This record gives sequence, C-alpha cells and structure tokens, in this order.
Amino acid sequence: MTLIQERPSGPGLYSEEAEPLTQIVPGPRPRGVVKFITSTDHKQIGLNYMVTAFTGFLVSGIMAELMRTQLAGPDNHVLTANAYNQLVTMHGTVMLFVFGGPFAFGLANYILPLQIGAPDMAFPRFNNLSYWLYLGGFLVMMSGFLTNNGAADFGWFSYAPLSEAIHTPGPGVDMWILGIALTGFSGIFTAVNVITTVFTLRAPGMVMFRMPIFVWNSMVTLFLVLLAFPVLTAALALLWCDRHLGTSFYNPVGGGQPMLWLNLFWFFGHPEVYILALPYFGVVTEVFATFSKKPVFGYKGMIAATLSIAGLSMGVWAHHLYTTGAVLLPFFAALSLLIAVPTGIKFFNWIGTMWQGVLTLNTAMLFAIGFLIIFLCGGITGVMLAQPPLDFQLHNTYFLVAHFHYVLLGTTVFGAFASIYYWFPKYTGRLLDERLGKLSFAIMFVATNLTYFPMHDLGLRGMPRRVFTYPANAGWTFLNQLATIGAYLLGIGVLFTVINVFLSFRRGEIAGDNPWDGQTLEWATSSPPPEHNFEILPPIRSERPLWDANHPDQLTEVGH
Amino acid sequence: MLLIVGAREPIDDLPPAGAGDRCRKDRLVGALSTGILADWGSPHGVTTGDRLVRSEWALNYYIALPLAAVVLGGIIWCVVRYRARPGENRRARQFQYHIPIEATYTIIPLILVAVIFFVAFNNENKLTHVSEHPGLVVNVQGFQWGWRFTYPNGHQELGSVATEPSINDESALPVLYLPAHETVQLDLVSDDVIHGFYVPAFLYQRDLIPGVKNQVDFNVTRTGKWIGECNELCGTYHAFMRFEVDAMPKSKFDAWYHAQKPNSITVAGANQQ
Repeated sequence: MTLIQERPSGPGLYSEEAEPLTQIVPGPRPRGVVKFITSTDHKQIGLNYMVTAFTGFLVSGIMAELMRTQLAGPDNHVLTANAYNQLVTMHGTVMLFVFGGPFAFGLANYILPLQIGAPDMAFPRFNNLSYWLYLGGFLVMMSGFLTNNGAADFGWFSYAPLSEAIHTPGPGVDMWILGIALTGFSGIFTAVNVITTVFTLRAPGMVMFRMPIFVWNSMVTLFLVLLAFPVLTAALALLWCDRHLGTSFYNPVGGGQPMLWLNLFWFFGHPEVYILALPYFGVVTEVFATFSKKPVFGYKGMIAATLSIAGLSMGVWAHHLYTTGAVLLPFFAALSLLIAVPTGIKFFNWIGTMWQGVLTLNTAMLFAIGFLIIFLCGGITGVMLAQPPLDFQLHNTYFLVAHFHYVLLGTTVFGAFASIYYWFPKYTGRLLDERLGKLSFAIMFVATNLTYFPMHDLGLRGMPRRVFTYPANAGWTFLNQLATIGAYLLGIGVLFTVINVFLSFRRGEIAGDNPWDGQTLEWATSSPPPEHNFEILPPIRSERPLWDANHPDQLTEVGH
Repeated sequence: MLLIVGAREPIDDLPPAGAGDRCRKDRLVGALSTGILADWGSPHGVTTGDRLVRSEWALNYYIALPLAAVVLGGIIWCVVRYRARPGENRRARQFQYHIPIEATYTIIPLILVAVIFFVAFNNENKLTHVSEHPGLVVNVQGFQWGWRFTYPNGHQELGSVATEPSINDESALPVLYLPAHETVQLDLVSDDVIHGFYVPAFLYQRDLIPGVKNQVDFNVTRTGKWIGECNELCGTYHAFMRFEVDAMPKSKFDAWYHAQKPNSITVAGANQQ
C-alpha cells in the first residue's frame, strides 16, 4: 500500500510555470571563514558542530591523559589536588556537554534532513544561533581555567553544598554554570528545530514508519533534551542565586536542601545519559544495515525499544542516589532494571540485522561492532549497579567509573567514530583511508579494554573515584598502571583517525555519491550535497528508498 | 569476564591485613576452589551483610554470564560466518520481522529482570534494616576533611588531614572502635558538604548529607582492622579523608570503652613523635 497521493494538476506547485521555491542569488557564494560564520545551511552548521565537538573531545582527552599520568603511581605529584579536581570536573563536563551531545546534534543537523528528503532544517537561522550559543558555552566554561581560582572543581554533577559560594568561591564556578546554561539553551533550540523538521519537512511518501532509525533516535533524543535541559537550566539558575543573591535553595545553613539539587540534577542527568547514547544507537543501526546489505531487523520493535528507553529514562534518576538513604529504592530499582529489556531488544535486533547478511568489515563496521562489545560489558555492569545491594558496595568506586566509561565511551566515542568513517565520504566526497582507520580501531579497541577493565577490579578493591592520589600499600598500583598505559594507547589510536581525516580531506580516494551501496536518502544526492540537497528523489515506498531503486529484485521480504 | 575480575579477595589485600591470616598458597587455592565455584569471585565482606551481597553477586553471574555469552557469541558468529569473502557471489536474505523470535527475546529478559528485582528487593530490605535495640550507637560526623566518632558517653575519636603525615602513612588515622558480633548503629551526619561513609570490607556505604539523618547497622563478624574512606568528592583533600575501623572482641571493646573518660577527645596522631 502506498500513501503517496495523486499530484494536483493544473497551474500550481508542480506546473512548469510555477515560481521556484527558492531563489538562488547570483554572484560568488561565501567561502571559508565567512561561510563558517554566516552560513545557515544545515550541512555547514552540522560540520561546525562536529568539528567543535571533536575539538572538545581532544581537549577533554588531554585532561584525561593528565589525570591518568597523576594516577600512574601511588603518592604521585604530577598534579596538585586542586588541579586534579578541576580536571576531573572539566573532563566530565566537556565530554558530556561539548562532545557527546553536540556531536550527535551535528550529525542530526547534517544527516537528518538528508535522510528525510528535506531541503534544510525548519528554522535555518535559529539553527545558526544554536551553534553560536553552543560555541559560546564551550569557550565560557573552558575559560574558567584562566580565572584566579581556576575552573570548577566539584565534579561534573556539582553536588551542593560543595558548589555553594562558601565552599567553592571564585568566578570559575560561575563560568561553569553559565557555560552549561548556554550549551543547554543551544540543545533546547536544536531540539525545537529538529523536531519541527521531522514533523513538517519530510518528503512526500516519507511517513513516520519509513524514517530511518537514526532519524527516529535523534528525534526521540531531542524530545528528551526538551524534557531534561530546562530542569537543569532552572536548577543552575537557583544555584547561581544561592551563590550571588544570598538565597538558600540548596544551602542547609539557610534552611535549604542539598537533596533538592541532587534530585533536580539527576532528573536531568539520567535522561542525559540516553541523550548521549540514543543517537549513536541510531548511527550503528544505519551502519549495520548498510554493511550487511539488509533491512534493519525488527524495525518497529527497534522504534518501540527506543521509545520505551526514553520513557523509562525519565523515571530512573534516583538510582544515582541509592546511597543517600533518601529515595524509594524499590521503585527506582525496578524501573532501572526494566531498561535492560528494551536495550536487550536492540542488541538482538542488531545481531538479527547482521544475521545471514553479507558483511563488509570496513572501519565503520568495525567501530560499530566494537561499540556492541564494549557497550555489552557496560550494560551488564549497569544491571549490577541497578541493584541496590550491589550499588551499596560499588557506588562511587572505580567499578562505577569502569561501568560508565564502558557505556559512554562505547556508545559516544565508538559511535561517533563509526559515523565519521561512514559519512565522511558524504561530507567531503572523499573516502577515509581504510588501513589507517583499521589501525586506529584496533588500537582504540584494545586500549579501551586495557584502560577500563582493570578499573572494575580497582573498584572491588575499594578504590574510590575522584581521589587525586592513593597509598602504595593498597594493592591498587599495578591496575592503575595498566589503566594509564591503556589511556596513552587510546590517545594514540584517536590520533591515527585525526591524521586520517586531515590526510583524506585533501588526498583521499574520490568516493562518488554512493560508495557503500547505501539504503537511505542521504546517498541519493551528490557528495557533498548541493545547497538544498536534492535535484530528484527516488520514490519512497519503504524505509530504504534508495536500496529499492537500486535493487528492485531484492526488496524486503514480506511476512512474519 | 567478570569472573576474572573478582577471582581474588581484594579485602584481604587491604592494609592492615584482615583477621584471616592465610598464607598465599591458601588464598590461591581458595580463589580457585571456593572463589570460583561457590562465590563466583565476589569479594568477601566482614559483616553479616556479606552473605546477602554475595548471594546477589552469584545470581548476577548465573544470569549475566550466559546472557553475555549468547550475545557475544551471536556477534562473533555473524562476523565470522557472514563476512563477505572475495569472489563470493552470495546475496543477503532480505527478511525484516520474525515475531516469535522477537517476542522471545522480549519476554525472557522481562522474566530475568523480575527475578533479579525480587532478590534485590529482599536483600536491600535486610541490608538497610535498622535495629530498634542496637548494642551500641556511634555518631559519625564527616567534615572537610576528617572524621569525628562520638560514643554514647561523649568520648570522641577525632582525626583529620591536618594530622596525616602522608597518603602512605595510616598510623594517624581516626579510629572507629567497634565490638565484633554485635549490632552497632551508626548515625551519619555532616555539617558542611556531602561525604560518604565507605568501608570496602563491609561491602557497604552510605552518604553523610547535611539535612538528612542516615542510620546504618553493622554486625561485624570478624575481629580486625580495615580502612574506611570518604566516597563522595568533598573538596581538595577528599583523597586524604580516611579512617580506620578496629573491630575487637566484646570484652576487649568494653575494657577500652570504660577506659575512656566521658566527653574526652582523642585526636589521631596527636601523641605521636
């Protein structure tokens, strides 16, 4: 059954005399820096986001390397306690607010309109504003390092009352608050833009249940952004009032409640984890389908899983607060454990997508498989930590650090790298070098496990997180050394991809429009796509219109 | 995978060594036999809660390991079996749905999750249970950056980063003296920022939050000394905010307790050279 209606005849939208929908202004187009600053093209803004986010990833990665250097030996003195605490805080903040989310926003900006056959985002200039707010937020929070007390140093979740002015004075904290608020606004605006785009600018025939999984996941993610970020912004405003206007929302001295901050923060903080993960679930879904030459297995189940993960993620924030003794344990334990079910469905659907396929094991696919394996490990420890009896033992130890790095590094970093290798030909018209890419993947995969696997054991041996030094006789030294070696290797692995991008940008092999035999609409236009994206669209009669057009003899089997 | 992680007894490595002074060979044998077969490698605790936490670990291993094996096996099978080989002219089957299989991998995890939940619910209720008639109540106050343990007669054991000579020196840590084999209730309070009361050997922790009065019960089943830590970033010297737990036989504890004058204060490291 097709939902495409008959086109209206006579003078109107489709007649030849009709005015063109967009007027191309003659003359030279802006290029280089001017284009970067002024463009409202979703593709340029998407690239701006991704390049800025990746810069944040590298900066934050350097912070991590410094911390691992400090922890390479017991009683080490590479960093002072204050410097270490600042790095701990800013590493987390930059990774989450500058890299993880915004890189996915960049992908949503670039890829999502292409995948639904739209000429641009719904609000192009609003889109530009979002980017500049985001860049401003990044710069403001980083410039905290230039102030006299240094950057914020209370951990990325900024537990009150430690973040109150009496305990942490200095402008670095205020710049942290402002920086996050700015990136938060940027996220909210992007959410409005992307959701409107999905609802209003889909090409004819692109009904909701024909949208690629990446589009679904991005849309659901941005709904989560709309729900979570305003809460954080409000909580930050109250914190700022506490610091400067003498209010006592979180300050127990004036009758405030630290638990209020903890609840408000994690009400944002847990959906944030899924804001970081869901878009990359979408990325690897696209990668698996394309490189298995198959449709996504259990397409509708996949969407249902995404929606239920999003729904459940709004009700599990207090599993970060089991050890406070001030939350209802069974409720949050039950909902947290339930999230394992839709996540499991996704895993089995990914395997089902590869099942009986013809797998091309190139770098993008390898990163996606690496994502699966690393995220599997993080998911299992996640189920453990969701049980209060185990969380009482493991909370805030290195076991937790290992868990969330397996989850977040597995999803955001491996997902982002898969996206880079998958869509780089679309951005530039050139392929990335496969040999450098595979080398980069191999090093990163080994290094990730070498860095984070020993941390499980460190946690079981009782090493708390966020300590800037540790005693020699605790039995933690060897495992920490393994982690540090792993962290250095991880940095080297990342560098290979950076080098690859720089080399291939100018000298890479010419890709052509559709180098991967892609299935979705972004491969139906030139690489890079022209302004307003499409000259002509293939008919959209399933969730992989381009595949249907190119392989009319291999349509999706009907039944079951 | 996690089996390897836990196939040791981390607690015994903590200084000073626990009461079970087994030799290295014994520990190796223990890790291999009881460690893997009976306990699945989960660390051993020294309180009555140990049994509950370890049963929880065991359940997790029984469920998580087979599940991980299935998923990992599926991934590896796909990569090995279905990878495109040069010269091969195979076509992928274009199937998309298989409702019975999809329903299976929805319903089985739901059942597993329900089982885990009920076991966890049962265990957490026992672990967080607070006795009406504890044998001893100690007030535990955390502050930036140290600990104050106040006993019923007003005696205080106090210590802070100011008296700690170095991170490697545990001689001047404040000591929490406890009687073994008795229910001890700790009232956890804080006046400045949030701290965490964490003794790795107890397999348990609880936060100290201004405005929240937390109570936990411990019944230590072995005598010995263990290190405790602050487990919530609380400022510059968070890493130095440690203490020592000293669990003594009841008679020895009573002798110590009666030797302390009411409202006296012992400051850790104050009388050392």
